[in-house]
Amino acid sequence: MSQFEFLRSVNIGQYLPTASPVHRLDPRVRLVSYFLLVMALTFTRSPWGLLVGVLLVLATLRLALISLRFALRGLLAPLPFLLILALLQVFFNGRPDSGPVFFTIVGLVVGLSDIGVALMLLARFSTLVLALSLASYTLSTGELTVGLGYLLRPLARIGLPAHDFVMMLQVSLRFLPLLAQTAERIAKSQAARGADWDAHGGNLLARVRRIIPLIVPMFLVSLRRAETMALAMDARGYGSVEQRSSRIVLKTTPRDWVVVVFTIVIAVGIVILP
Amino acid sequence: MSSLIDLDAVSFAYRDPQGKTYPVLQDISLKIAEGELVAIVGANGSGKTTLIRHLNGLLLPDQGRVLIAGQDTRSADGRRAIHQQVGMVFQHPEDQIISSTLEDEVAFGPENLGLAPAEIQGRVEETLRSMGLWEIRLRPPHLLSAGQTQRLALAGVLAMRPRCIIFDEATTMLDPAGRRMALDWMLRLHRQGITILFVTHHMEEAALAERVLVFERGRVVLDGSPRQVFADPARLAALGLELPPAAALAARLRHYLPGLPDDILTPEELKAGMDNISRLHEQVGGPQTAAPNINPPGAGDHSSLITVSHLSHTYLANTPLAHPSLNDVSLSVAAGASHGLLGRTGSGKSTLLQHLNGLLRPQSGSVQVGPFDLSDPSVLTRSVIQMVGLVFQDPEMQFFEQYVGDEIAYGPRQFPGPDSLADRVRSAMELVGLDFDDFKDRLLFTLSGGERRKVALASVLSLQPGVLLLDEPTAGLDPHSHAEILARLKGLQAKGMTLVLSSHRMEDLAELAQNLTLFDDGRVLAGGSLAEVFGGKALLEGAGLEQPLAVQASGWLRAQGWLLPAAVVTPEQLAAALAAARDAESVP
Repeated sequence: MSQFEFLRSVNIGQYLPTASPVHRLDPRVRLVSYFLLVMALTFTRSPWGLLVGVLLVLATLRLALISLRFALRGLLAPLPFLLILALLQVFFNGRPDSGPVFFTIVGLVVGLSDIGVALMLLARFSTLVLALSLASYTLSTGELTVGLGYLLRPLARIGLPAHDFVMMLQVSLRFLPLLAQTAERIAKSQAARGADWDAHGGNLLARVRRIIPLIVPMFLVSLRRAETMALAMDARGYGSVEQRSSRIVLKTTPRDWVVVVFTIVIAVGIVILP
Repeated sequence: MSSLIDLDAVSFAYRDPQGKTYPVLQDISLKIAEGELVAIVGANGSGKTTLIRHLNGLLLPDQGRVLIAGQDTRSADGRRAIHQQVGMVFQHPEDQIISSTLEDEVAFGPENLGLAPAEIQGRVEETLRSMGLWEIRLRPPHLLSAGQTQRLALAGVLAMRPRCIIFDEATTMLDPAGRRMALDWMLRLHRQGITILFVTHHMEEAALAERVLVFERGRVVLDGSPRQVFADPARLAALGLELPPAAALAARLRHYLPGLPDDILTPEELKAGMDNISRLHEQVGGPQTAAPNINPPGAGDHSSLITVSHLSHTYLANTPLAHPSLNDVSLSVAAGASHGLLGRTGSGKSTLLQHLNGLLRPQSGSVQVGPFDLSDPSVLTRSVIQMVGLVFQDPEMQFFEQYVGDEIAYGPRQFPGPDSLADRVRSAMELVGLDFDDFKDRLLFTLSGGERRKVALASVLSLQPGVLLLDEPTAGLDPHSHAEILARLKGLQAKGMTLVLSSHRMEDLAELAQNLTLFDDGRVLAGGSLAEVFGGKALLEGAGLEQPLAVQASGWLRAQGWLLPAAVVTPEQLAAALAAARDAESVP
């Protein structure tokens, strides 16, 4: 495996058209369900709730015909950051210490409850990343635009730029794989001229040191690409009529309603489990 | 007859934040009628792109007026109609794709027009089918080939049913088959009555237009049919342009073939002209050995410096997006030789090049470069790159410094040596013909296309590699810069540099390489000397390429009874072979 295949670790923003039953649901239903799931995962305090959430996400991935290995590999990129967060949680969490105490460093007590809090955080964020990846694998930009556009109609009615917001989201999603490709090119061209990319993996510090020189050129290149994209959108008449239309006709079937009810039940369950 | 596009005394200047102005268009008045096929040519920075951005309201003139079908681009209502009527296809196809599926992408324009869903869906399917993209509509756009992406961009424009389509160097990033396809589409759309404007650096493309506009420093300096515009080679050279290759070849050969008509522009016309010149003295066929000036074999010794054997590579292996790129590839390059790689986009050339300096490591098979066995993980890429420099495709897109000097100094900074940094940068700049004192403190983005390419070359040469890998070294350059880069590369060759280069321009390979490897779909289709590979017409065409014009012309002449050696691949060699044939004749 090459250390330059950044695309490998950018799963969010990729759409995988597998024509599965999940892909055939009304886009609004998918949006609402993913939203409920993400909210429930964010606010639950119950480990059992998280477990239900993980199982539901994994099951939906299977149902969407997406390889679990591929989806789980998407966790590798954010993992270092999650670990740092978890580590901080061990030392600095607001919970009163209870249960057995393992050790104390410079006055900071580390006990069973602290480890529990850190593990919860790790589990919560990993599941959230998986859930968001699931959303991006199963929602094409067109479906996202039309579905979200519909759901945000109340906002548009009170004069907020809902459509621009939706388009912004679409373009950002589209940009993620491009960003990975750009980073890959710049990393390669720096490595071809002497930047040290030899140590596979390496420790966290070495990794960060390699990534910092990528950031500024990546912004410059991305800005240039964004400018071209804006030109291309302009040239194709974006914003030339008040109400954009869509090729997708929104139509709900009984199956869609079943999914919505099912998701509501599960989401409530995730939150209220002990 | 009313004109579709009507420019009246248009001027435009860019302003930098300090308020300094840089005039780009100066007092341009121009009419283009509905249905015309117009080529726009001119050196980099002559204002071509700025002009066409005025034609669909992306830019508004400082002075003067732009009317499209009677609508002023200044009025907001007018612009709405203009966006629907004038479509644009840009140079970098991947940057104009906005959606995550092909269907969404094609639907984007019609959706902006607020059309009904059924109408949009109908247009999407029709357009994707007609562009041959329907079968692959489920592939993510960022994993399409360059040719497919450019077709997708065109599909997105066609679905809006425009009256006029503008192509801004849209063929630059394409392989020969992709370019031919894009040109075919332009001609086909033109026949359907759509007005076509295209900006190009390729004079053979401009020769296909009905009308050619030549830009120089923001003005239209020539405007006429290709025959009129290409009538004065000296004037063209002064404008940084050149004759179309067929015209240039005819001009060179006319001395030996006085019967060639003097208004040849396209390969077809050249062939027709040659078909009329049958061999006058067929009884005195010069022997095949008479032709001089055949490429010498690489630098005498045959020990190979680079050996690739049974190399295979798959991108994103073990993911749903895995795609194989190299399949059982073997080749070798001798020290001091120049080796060319050819094949369509996505056939594996870039992947192979990135294996030769250790950026990519063999997944299976082996790569030996000088003393380095690249399968060995203890061989550091950092060591390999000091011997093997790689200039990427489109290297300007990967600049990461602000100033010319810093960009070139990046490599030497990583490897401190006995010479001072300034000296190393200076000698690298000398190799590519950039003056150290004049250029070192210039901002990269203010340079012209040709100068940027030279900086990219210098930034790799500053590590003094013995092997130079070049991925499409001349793509996207105007004729003047193209000729200059070729000359620089020849200079490096003469100094003993080993070159491995990929190119979509067969003529460049004929000039620079001694041996070729022909790729298709990640496999080696053929390998050998220039004459062997370029002689395989059917194989080349099967791989989406074509023979260099000089090779084609030699074939046409042979069919007329001329005895020409098989090793003729460049215009110089063809002229020399004809001279030799004539001399053989004059000897009784």
